[in-house]
Amino acid sequence: MNEIIWDLIKDKTIDELKKGIREDGRSLDQYRPIKIEYGITKNADGSASVKLGNTFVLAGVKFGLGEPYPDSPNEGAISVGTELLAMASPSFDVGPPDENAIELARVVDRGIRESKAIDFNSLCIREGELVWIIYLDLYVLNDDGNLFDASALAALSALKNSKFPKMENDKIVLKESTNIPLNLKRLPILNTFTKVEDLLLVDASLKEEKASDGRFSVCVTEDGFMTAFQKGGIGSFKKDEIDRCIDLAFKNAELLRKLL
Amino acid sequence: MRKLVIPGELVSDNSKKAGQHVFVRDGKLYSDCIGLVNESYDSISVIPLEGPYIPNINDIVIGIIEQELFAGYVVNINSFYSGFIPKKNIDFFAKVGDLVSVKIASVNEVNEVDLDSPRILEDGELLEISPVKIPRVIGKEGSMLNILKKGTGCNILVGRNGRIWIKGGDVKLAFRLIKFIESQAHTENLTDRVTKIIEEAKNQSSNVLGE
Amino acid sequence: MNKRPDGRNPEDLRPIKIEVGVIQRADGSAYIEWGQNKIYAAVYGPKECLPKHIGNPYRAVVTYNYRMATFSVPERKNPKPGRREIEISKVSGEALERAIFTEKFPNTEIEIDVEVIDSNAGTRVAALTAAAVALADAGIPMRDLISAVGIGKANGQLVVDLNKEEEDAEDAVDIPFAIMPNTEEIVLLQMDGLLTKEEWKILCEMGIKAAKQVYEIQKQALKSKYFVEEL
Repeated sequence: MNEIIWDLIKDKTIDELKKGIREDGRSLDQYRPIKIEYGITKNADGSASVKLGNTFVLAGVKFGLGEPYPDSPNEGAISVGTELLAMASPSFDVGPPDENAIELARVVDRGIRESKAIDFNSLCIREGELVWIIYLDLYVLNDDGNLFDASALAALSALKNSKFPKMENDKIVLKESTNIPLNLKRLPILNTFTKVEDLLLVDASLKEEKASDGRFSVCVTEDGFMTAFQKGGIGSFKKDEIDRCIDLAFKNAELLRKLL
Repeated sequence: MRKLVIPGELVSDNSKKAGQHVFVRDGKLYSDCIGLVNESYDSISVIPLEGPYIPNINDIVIGIIEQELFAGYVVNINSFYSGFIPKKNIDFFAKVGDLVSVKIASVNEVNEVDLDSPRILEDGELLEISPVKIPRVIGKEGSMLNILKKGTGCNILVGRNGRIWIKGGDVKLAFRLIKFIESQAHTENLTDRVTKIIEEAKNQSSNVLGE
Repeated sequence: MNKRPDGRNPEDLRPIKIEVGVIQRADGSAYIEWGQNKIYAAVYGPKECLPKHIGNPYRAVVTYNYRMATFSVPERKNPKPGRREIEISKVSGEALERAIFTEKFPNTEIEIDVEVIDSNAGTRVAALTAAAVALADAGIPMRDLISAVGIGKANGQLVVDLNKEEEDAEDAVDIPFAIMPNTEEIVLLQMDGLLTKEEWKILCEMGIKAAKQVYEIQKQALKSKYFVEEL
């Protein structure tokens, strides 16, 4: 659908939301149907696709070998990349990642990294010399809103699906897996709230995002920690709104975690 | 049941006149799109099931004011290019985002259009569907549109560019019916099925009232 | 005649599955699984040409973007498109352009994006096959579909649809090959390796036959969007 239409019907969208009505009949604090598929590509060491309504994101993991950072000689690393594919929207273009893609990648990265879900020490092969580096790449195939949560969920699913490749003489043996899974100690879940006037929406569709003033994302773990915040878009949140988001995030994250 | 064809598929061996979306190769007729074969007494054409809006002279379309310039308004008509309405031709003021109905006065060889007979559409709601499904919403000599108007009590203006403006009456029912027609545009007996949905909706609402 | 490494006969294709209408925001789209290859294709347009100077006043410009995901190959690929992807994009776009009635849409652009998410030899022909279906799904007027297949030589045998193991054989010859199935015009043809004229003659026949099998799968996929019960 032409995006000009959404700008046009912005007022109507807001009116309906104020009455608590969403296009697909769900409540303001409800996610769209979520479908997760694991192991979608064989060449990846771990992969998953997530459909959040019509929003569609793929994630793939590749293990690499490298030197550790000098300040953490006994830790491996993770690198998250995002591609907002041109096929995902009439408004996306081919080319290197733009600021939107970079923000998305960094928020997903922070949520996972800071949660210590991955035991980076266990990625160390020889202190100061050789460590595993996890390359996690996200591909957005269709943008119908809330790329943040869909991407974070896809990222986590792909990690959960990952198995270490085989290594010989400090080199990866291509096309051979060890069947040793990457253990995740926590499952950090990203929850994004979209603000429309004074309403807070969970899992906004693109149409709703077009009517919004800003978004707030919070990543939470099952043992009560928050591991990332990100406020984006023009607009502001009051403290109590942030608090409401956080409460709801813990509640919704529990439901989402069950899908993994 | 009409035959479903894809691009490059043989439509007919005989040398009837080639209608729309049909091309000739070695004296035979082939389809240039995915669509349904439509045969009349002297010609044969394919009704596309997918595709963009291609402007034609005298089409009534629904536009959205995209930009205001000193001399007039730039209007998005859901085609390759926007159109332009000079202010000297109109007696209303419009702002960005307003809806207008316009007639395609001319189309040049690169599909740029001149617009005519602009009319501002106040209030009402807009629905966008695939432009190639619009003929089914209108029906033969407007038959489907009449059923829709009567059944919903709505004022409905159908733009050839896939945009439909609806005002008054049971707008929700109108949306539902039009979306149904869009999804079933490749099937037959649409009129009967639409009439049935309208009757069911009416019965339901009278039941609610009766309780 | 020897069985191939994966048990196929020389003229056997790997299993192919095509789904239509998988990218909701696109004007047309398709997903193909061809052996281990998995590819999404999406079409936008015809749309206004931006920047304007790339436009052509007589016909639509066809842009084809073939890309591979970083995790789609054994060794992680650099996310930046490489020379291989750019070349494939060019020849594949030109192949499709032959089938499109571009003269109907002067000054516009038809954009085709394909993304390979898993690969095992033959991704460019699989991508082209999916792209043709996506174009038809977008309602773009076309003379014909484009049906593509790999042909070539491996382990002393002429075969269709080489997999990676065969492509890596000592004597391997790989020929990406595509035709308009109704007229048998060849629209994509590349090759590297050593091949005799006699071998090519045989391979071309094998290619046309195989491409027509691909065509039947494309046709079924497109039609089943409307009439599931016909399957």
